[in-house]
Amino acid sequence: MHLKLFVLSASSVVLWLASLTALDKTLDIHKALQGVSLTAAIACAVAAGNIAREQAEQNEIEEIKTRAITADVVDEIATSAYISQQQRQQEAEQILNPCEHLERSLALTYDEGERSEPITQNQLAEPEQNGSENGESERTERIHQLQAKGWGKAKIILEVWGISKGGSPKYKAAEAEYKHLLGEE
Amino acid sequence: MRAMYLANYFVAGCIAFSLLGWVASLHPITFRAVLCLLVAIAIAWGLSWLLDFSLSQLLNISVADLQALLIGGLAMLLIGLGVFLCT
Repeated sequence: MHLKLFVLSASSVVLWLASLTALDKTLDIHKALQGVSLTAAIACAVAAGNIAREQAEQNEIEEIKTRAITADVVDEIATSAYISQQQRQQEAEQILNPCEHLERSLALTYDEGERSEPITQNQLAEPEQNGSENGESERTERIHQLQAKGWGKAKIILEVWGISKGGSPKYKAAEAEYKHLLGEE
Repeated sequence: MRAMYLANYFVAGCIAFSLLGWVASLHPITFRAVLCLLVAIAIAWGLSWLLDFSLSQLLNISVADLQALLIGGLAMLLIGLGVFLCT
């Protein structure tokens, strides 16, 4: 296509200039040849122009396609980056603020009017019977929940273990378990 | 490629004006006819410059494009007739 274009362009210029310079205007036959040559030159130039215009339009379409594909890819990358950033942010929030996360999750299930029964002394005395891990995790959750409400240690021990503050060995045992559950020891 | 097709159309216009000169050289009557045609073209060209804003709206092209076309047309006429007369 390019070769045809260049040949047509060159032939139009050659036919135009060669006929006018090489042929004599006084001779009839030369004059006729000049007319034919000029007409052919116009035809060649217009044909070359049409070919070049089609080529230019195709190039423009290709450029538009390339730009559209590039924009699509950039948009997809930006979307995935945004999503991964949100995921990272959520994970960071979960790691940095477990109390708040726990409070949020408990707020979905916990009724404000409902108050759990204090854990009896028998249950405190027999942790193995109740299932130590489940009991501990329940107490820990309850402690976190009450801490999130701004409750103090003595009030939490009174709520969870049902033992009021004092120097009694039961209170000391409850306090030790409280610290153990919170990992303060 | 865009420059290529513009150049080809420009060359075609130049050759067309050379052909017009060739037609004018055939006979005194054709000479007068071509002269009248050139006068008409000159009047249209001048009017196009005066009415460029209206014409650009009519042809749905920008004023700059219309002015470029007019200048290109003048250049084609000068080159085409110049080449014919100088050879």
